[in-house]
Amino acid sequence: MKKLLQKDEFDALLSTSSGVQFLGPVRLKGRGRFSDTDLIKYGQIKSFTDIVWDSKTYLSAKELILPITETLLDFTGTTVVQPPVEDAILVLFLRACDIHAIERLDAIFLNNGPSPDPYYKQKRDRFKLVLMECAVPFDSCFCVAMGTNTVSNFGAAVRCIEDGILIDIRDEWFTSQIAGSGTDTEFELQFPQQNGADVHVPHIKEMQEQLFTHEMWDEYSKRCIACGRCNTSCPTCSCFSVHDISYGHDSNSKIARRQRVWDGCHLDGFTDMAGGAAFRIECGSRMRFKTFHKIYDYRKRYGVNMCVGCGRCDDVCPEYISFANCINKVNDLVNESRSTPDE
Amino acid sequence: MIRDINRKKTVKNAWRITKNRALTCLRIRVPGGHLEARHLELMKKVAEIYGNGTVHLTTRQGFEIPGIPFEKMAEINNLITDYIAFTGQHLSTEVISSREGYPAAGTRNISACIGNRVCPFANFDTTKMALEIEKTVYPNDFHVKIAVTGCPNDCIKAHMQDIGVIGQALPEYETQSCIGCEACVKNCRKKVTGALSMVDFKVERDPRRCIGCGECVLVCPTQAWTRNPQKFFRLVVMGRTGKKNPRLAAPFAEWVTAKVVLGIMENLYPYIQQYIDKSLVKEHVGYIVDRTGYQVFRDWLLRGITLNPEARIAPTMQWSGYMYGYDTDAWDTKSTIPGSL
Amino acid sequence: MNNAWVPVANRITDIIKETDVEYTFTLESSIRPDHGQFVEVSIPGIGEAPISVSGTGDGWIQLTIRAVGHLTCAISTCKVGEQLFIRGPYGVAFPSALYENATLVVAAGGCAVAPVRTLIRSRLADKKLAANTRLLFGFKNPESVLYKDEIDEWSKLVQTIVTIDKEACSWNGRTGLITSHVADVDIPDLSQTHVVIVGPPVMMKYTSAQFFSRGIKQEQIWLSFERRMACGLGKCGHCKIDNSYVCVDGPVFRYDKALHLID
Ligand SMILES: Cc1cc2nc3c(=O)[nH]c(=O)nc-3n(C[C@H](O)[C@H](O)[C@H](O)COP(=O)(O)OP(=O)(O)OC[C@H]3O[C@@H](n4cnc5c(N)ncnc54)[C@H](O)[C@@H]3O)c2cc1C
Ligand code: SF4
Ligand code: SF4
Ligand code: SF4
Ligand code: SF4
Ligand code: SF4
Ligand code: FES
Repeated sequence: MKKLLQKDEFDALLSTSSGVQFLGPVRLKGRGRFSDTDLIKYGQIKSFTDIVWDSKTYLSAKELILPITETLLDFTGTTVVQPPVEDAILVLFLRACDIHAIERLDAIFLNNGPSPDPYYKQKRDRFKLVLMECAVPFDSCFCVAMGTNTVSNFGAAVRCIEDGILIDIRDEWFTSQIAGSGTDTEFELQFPQQNGADVHVPHIKEMQEQLFTHEMWDEYSKRCIACGRCNTSCPTCSCFSVHDISYGHDSNSKIARRQRVWDGCHLDGFTDMAGGAAFRIECGSRMRFKTFHKIYDYRKRYGVNMCVGCGRCDDVCPEYISFANCINKVNDLVNESRSTPDE
Repeated sequence: MIRDINRKKTVKNAWRITKNRALTCLRIRVPGGHLEARHLELMKKVAEIYGNGTVHLTTRQGFEIPGIPFEKMAEINNLITDYIAFTGQHLSTEVISSREGYPAAGTRNISACIGNRVCPFANFDTTKMALEIEKTVYPNDFHVKIAVTGCPNDCIKAHMQDIGVIGQALPEYETQSCIGCEACVKNCRKKVTGALSMVDFKVERDPRRCIGCGECVLVCPTQAWTRNPQKFFRLVVMGRTGKKNPRLAAPFAEWVTAKVVLGIMENLYPYIQQYIDKSLVKEHVGYIVDRTGYQVFRDWLLRGITLNPEARIAPTMQWSGYMYGYDTDAWDTKSTIPGSL
Repeated sequence: MNNAWVPVANRITDIIKETDVEYTFTLESSIRPDHGQFVEVSIPGIGEAPISVSGTGDGWIQLTIRAVGHLTCAISTCKVGEQLFIRGPYGVAFPSALYENATLVVAAGGCAVAPVRTLIRSRLADKKLAANTRLLFGFKNPESVLYKDEIDEWSKLVQTIVTIDKEACSWNGRTGLITSHVADVDIPDLSQTHVVIVGPPVMMKYTSAQFFSRGIKQEQIWLSFERRMACGLGKCGHCKIDNSYVCVDGPVFRYDKALHLID
């Protein structure tokens, strides 16, 4: 079913849907990293005009499903309390790459290890995904190379037009929500077929172990400052640490909170173990570790590349390190080794 | 050639007395130090047609175009009218339509660092603020130097001005968004004042130590730190160079809004009017403050101003600095410095 | 939904001081971990850490903990009757069934005897298996020897080589690094042998090399990895090396797999 919803019809739907929260890219005026710039991030949508169509978010929708800080348990002294379970439906507006990114997280939080992560699953089950059509990809996107430019598992897809949205409804929940609003229309969803960033991803079968120790990584040791922005902004980076906070002045008191907080493999301390052992001291090896997770070993484990080509890591690196170019460099090495005959 | 020139009037009109009796030098204001490039053609034209083909860039970010015969002043004043009208849009139509050049030169060009049009550290648009200040204080014959700088790094040297305006960002912290990477804490400790510390994996900011540089916002990988969109300023006052008692400006106000800044600028002039030593050719405002004392100065500057709640005003003031005329007889010389040739 | 993050409070019933920094805690517990598995141990408000299970029985488990950091030091001050919070067990165990018809050599360095203790205990409890078991332990000095009395018991049953790094006056046994004693391990049939090597990364590397030089193949060596962990559930990513999660796919890895785990 395809419909045209005028702005006010759209806003009426937002306000009449009870038990539903609408989430998408919003603009926080003046909250950007630099003065007089805005922070674009995921947040609550209260009206059509809240949705930001023309900029990429700094952090992805990941923060909604894997909060930056998330309470796991509260210890009250005698009992272990789990945080209250919420039941609001979460309608999430996001781009094709970001829908793929959520599937990448699913692989880890729902399917890896002995059991699904209950906190993640609790939210994931409540999400209804709305695809925001990318008329023109952003400057740094490389979704086409990653095969994430097209997508099919969404409940509805929207195109922004001057005075409202065109919506292509694919599932029953959205059909029932929208029944009665808007006017029937016809349009064909467009997916980007070309990106500004030209990226060539090598095939894992061709990625030899020599690449792990190749000197190409040394350059990154000199450039990367381990700020972690590439990890935090990445919609598929899923790493976290767990901390306990004690609420008793008495050190024996068991009143405490256990929480998890995002972590990242570029950050100092990520591999530190008691007694001083640590791995990947050099930032170049962190770059290699991240790169291989994104385009090699995740794929070995789950069959798809972890990176979805959203380009955020390239947008945010203060040292202007391009991950897209890093993939190309690896690809060049793979091609070279293929064309050099064995000695 | 007969050359009967009203020196005082000429100087007030932004023309310079030079060491060559036949030649003068035109001073062009560039409020906020930022200019549309097309205006450079005017500078070029005046320099090449009337001057000696060179242009000097002043410390206050103006142009000085030297080597101009005094008799060309009227012609050039007419020529630069459009420029004056453009960079001084607040000037009265009388001033502009007279086509007689700059109406005053005492209060100097308001200089500014490049600000947030370019610099990532800047907490506001310095040029825009400089223009606002220009509107408030110019034209005026009192000799006052004002400069505007984007952050406490003070690239414009606001600490050498009568009034220096320094941009402050009020950092706001979203606990939930912090990953505890300590980047902000380490950076503030190393580069700034050590206002931040880690408590239970999260960050605490000591507002007494925070100078509002905004560095924490710049380094945070999750934007747990953001700027309060309200712009705040620190004012440092009565810094100066000069032949008597050079000194750095000292903090007068912190966390004041633009409105308060402009109000204080405006109040400076009646204070000078009231206390200036009229027997002198010109008295620099800093020396007036030395005579009246800080409390009088402070009362005059805050007169009629409603301070924003965040504002803090210095109760007393100690300037650093030194007096020339100290005894150098006991100083080392060539013969007493070991190893000197 | 079942929440794997929720730990169970288990009472400490016994504490043995093994060395200056290592203590073995016996806890009431209903879990039955397999050899080489670990649990996540915590004290609320202090933290959580992966700890190998060094002993199991009916209604109890044992943990041998080295006080090196925030949590482990706090645990070392716990007293009998206090509680530790436990979740698990986690990880892949040593494939002990596979070892049953073979000679099993267990080589452990320092506190790494803990994760292999249950394996050794179960081998030695069975007469036939005991006969086919060889033990090789290396410690820094006499003071750091773990499970002293139990090792003495073991040495009565099977070939047990214990060495300390450097000579010391209170020691009249073997000295030198563990690697220098591999040659003395009695291996009757090379092809019918498995070797378990646990310890710090360098120790595992060089000890393996010694076994290779004796003719043992990569497929016959089993290692146990230690990596930073924050969940034990395959979620936090800290322990991932290449496409393996040490907490889920390990900590036990066969050498030919471990070889390709480049940090
Ligand atoms: C599979 C496995 C089995 C282990 N078995 C034992 C054992 O039987 N006995 C024993 O004494 N120690 C064992 N360790 C090491 C033990 O986990 C660390 O000594 C412990 O985490 C240190 O925590 P801490 O809070 O005292 O130290 P801190 O330095 O304060 O560490 C803070 C946090 O970092 C992490 N961390 C630090 N070191 C390690 C580490 N080595 N491994 C994993 N996470 C770490 C933990 O999340 C810890 O809570 C094992 C580690 C692993 C991975
Ligand atoms: S690695 Fe970079 S391009 Fe790929 S998903 Fe992450 S942020 Fe996007
Ligand atoms: S790239 Fe690094 S931070 Fe991101 S998921 Fe992989 S290991 Fe974790
Ligand atoms: S964003 Fe750039 S500098 Fe920062 S950790 Fe990533 S690669 Fe390094
Ligand atoms: S604004 Fe500057 S001084 Fe204040 S906390 Fe941030 S870094 Fe420190
Ligand atoms: S830089 Fe940001 S994320 Fe890191 S400790 Fe500071 S506030 Fe937290
Ligand atoms: S310990 Fe968290 S993924 Fe292995």
